[in-house]
Amino acid sequence: MTMQNDRLLAYFMILPVVAAVLAFVIGPTYNVGTLSLTKIVMGQERGFGTFSNFTALTSDPVFWLVMKNTAIWILGGTLMCVLVGLGVGTFLAIDSRMTTGLRALILLPWVLPDVVTAMAWKWMLHGQVGIIGQTLESTGLTEETISFLGDPKLVMWTLVVVLIWRKMPLVALILCAAIRSVPDDQIEAARMDGATAFERFRFVVIPNIAFSLTAVTVISMIWITAEFALPWIMTGGGPANASQIMATYIYQQSFEFFNWGVASAMSVINLVMLASIVGLYLYINRRSWASEGSK
Amino acid sequence: MGSVALRNIRKSYGAVEVLHGIDLDIADGEFTVLVGPSGCGKSTLLRSIAGLETISNGEIALDGAVINKLQPKERNIAMVFQNYALYPHMNVAKNMAFSLRLAKQPKDEIDRKVRDAAEILDLAPLLDRYPRQLSGGQRQRVAMGRAIVRDPEVFLFDEPLSNLDAKLRVQMRAEIKELHQRLKTTTIYVTHDQIEAMTMADKIVVMRGGHVEQIGSPLELYDRPASVFVAGFIGSPAMNFLPAAATGGTLVTKSSVSVGKAPAGVDEGRSVIAGFRPEDLRLADSGMPAKVVVVEPTGAETQLMLRMADGDIVFTTRDRISVGPGDTVHLQIEPGKLHCFDAETEAAIRQDAAGQ
Ligand SMILES: Nc1ncnc2c1ncn2[C@@H]1O[C@H](COP(=O)(O)OP(=O)(O)OP(=O)(O)O)[C@@H](O)[C@H]1O
Ligand SMILES: [Mg+2]
Repeated sequence: MTMQNDRLLAYFMILPVVAAVLAFVIGPTYNVGTLSLTKIVMGQERGFGTFSNFTALTSDPVFWLVMKNTAIWILGGTLMCVLVGLGVGTFLAIDSRMTTGLRALILLPWVLPDVVTAMAWKWMLHGQVGIIGQTLESTGLTEETISFLGDPKLVMWTLVVVLIWRKMPLVALILCAAIRSVPDDQIEAARMDGATAFERFRFVVIPNIAFSLTAVTVISMIWITAEFALPWIMTGGGPANASQIMATYIYQQSFEFFNWGVASAMSVINLVMLASIVGLYLYINRRSWASEGSK
Repeated sequence: MGSVALRNIRKSYGAVEVLHGIDLDIADGEFTVLVGPSGCGKSTLLRSIAGLETISNGEIALDGAVINKLQPKERNIAMVFQNYALYPHMNVAKNMAFSLRLAKQPKDEIDRKVRDAAEILDLAPLLDRYPRQLSGGQRQRVAMGRAIVRDPEVFLFDEPLSNLDAKLRVQMRAEIKELHQRLKTTTIYVTHDQIEAMTMADKIVVMRGGHVEQIGSPLELYDRPASVFVAGFIGSPAMNFLPAAATGGTLVTKSSVSVGKAPAGVDEGRSVIAGFRPEDLRLADSGMPAKVVVVEPTGAETQLMLRMADGDIVFTTRDRISVGPGDTVHLQIEPGKLHCFDAETEAAIRQDAAGQ
């Protein structure tokens, strides 16, 4: 009897959360999902259950450019973010007065609002008045001022650099904390076993922080996929779609061109991609959790 | 070969000196135990020998070659850590093979050495397990295996048994000793447990506050402690001490109880500390009077806490005795078992001259 009452009470207690998830997560997702399968002409729904949005999307050459840019953005961004973060985190993990100060200071790029970061970098990288291009020119490193955001070949990579500047600090701090929690005696045992500094890092530190490393990789991947303000404010997808990524493309299609169907089709692709990243993460960690539990 | 010589080892952390000039010679194949109370610098000394700490002054020589400046890996010394320090992401075989792998030894060579070590340590069935799947004692053995496969000149152990329960500790103690008898590798072993020191050591180094208090074989330290500290540290239950003074050739306590003959060379009236071990006392019809406070039979022997006018003492006997709390007994010290220490310096006043 009481068992049943307890269970009812438990369901009752989680009801608000379930309702909120249904209303604000499942609802819109469902909406986008159905929208992507609905043919829309001139703002009028013309039939459900068609893949025409997807075929329209993929037959547009811009789509493939967007996919390529998104790959640079997400994969390149994540990889660099984690690699640079690992390097910086390793440096910050060293005990010294300087690193203690730096550990606090490094969070600065991370606490700035997106808009401020984007505007600051946009002007610093500006083709005519940007301080970075001018400095490079006046010191003779480049022949003429480079327009980092105006050059279709450079723009995507420039965005990735700014992205790393912004996202890497937290990654570095998380990895720094993980590295510092590696037991000293393991490092010392490795020293006794004859491991060089690099071998200690590779064979002792990295395996010890593997859990944090995968977590931080997936989290950065999700952050970066969701990042919109930075590329939108800095380039708006230009020049000529050269820096158009999924997030900006979806925004442009839906709110500038009102192509709801195509935009939602793109959103569904985005969602599937994110879901597979999370799935991969869960799969990787399922293994380590399982083995943690087994005795 | 693996003889170790320490010359005037000093180690400071900032302005604080924790080792104040340690001199120690360890012969090849010897099992040396560093023992002393917590914080006396045992681990620091051991880690200095390993090369994990740089010493501020002095010289460490291995087989005559000075190794102070060498990196740990260049010293050919292996260390077993208190918390085992196994690599959690490697199985037992990989843990043991790690140093050989780093040394780029051929694969079949590594396999052979790991298998041999596993054989010695009874780890053969566990080679595929991960450290978290092992019991404390098994982890301890893996840590030892990791040291053995390298076939080093010297083994260092830093309180390797302190995380094990009492029974396992006794068993591992015997295993380590057996291992040493088999491999005959010079071993330096740190513990703060004097029983471990007594049972395992060829040579005990008693340390105190960054100094060496006394060096000797277990029985030497037991029979002829050089100071009150060593006398109190070695042996369990600890030696009894009573303040006394030499009066007419005997040692007499403040309350005029005679404890025994004063050693030769103790001037009349000099104040000393008389020491005697609980197991060197005998019940007698006359002698030191003491009141029984607590009787603790443990089966094989009985331990009595006694109160004398000059202080509390402990008495152990293997006889079945029928005294209870409140009774008064008389005790005598076995001839020749009375120790005498200077009251001020706490150093032993040797009885050699007296020809006991
Ligand atoms: N990194 C350090 N910085 C400053 N002082 C230290 C450091 N390591 C050890 N000490 C000091 O050196 C002294 C000796 O320490 P050590 O670890 O050698 O003691 P120990 O004899 O091994 O004690 P225990 O039996 O508790 O392990 C202690 O007083 C300790 O406070
Ligand atoms: Mg210690």
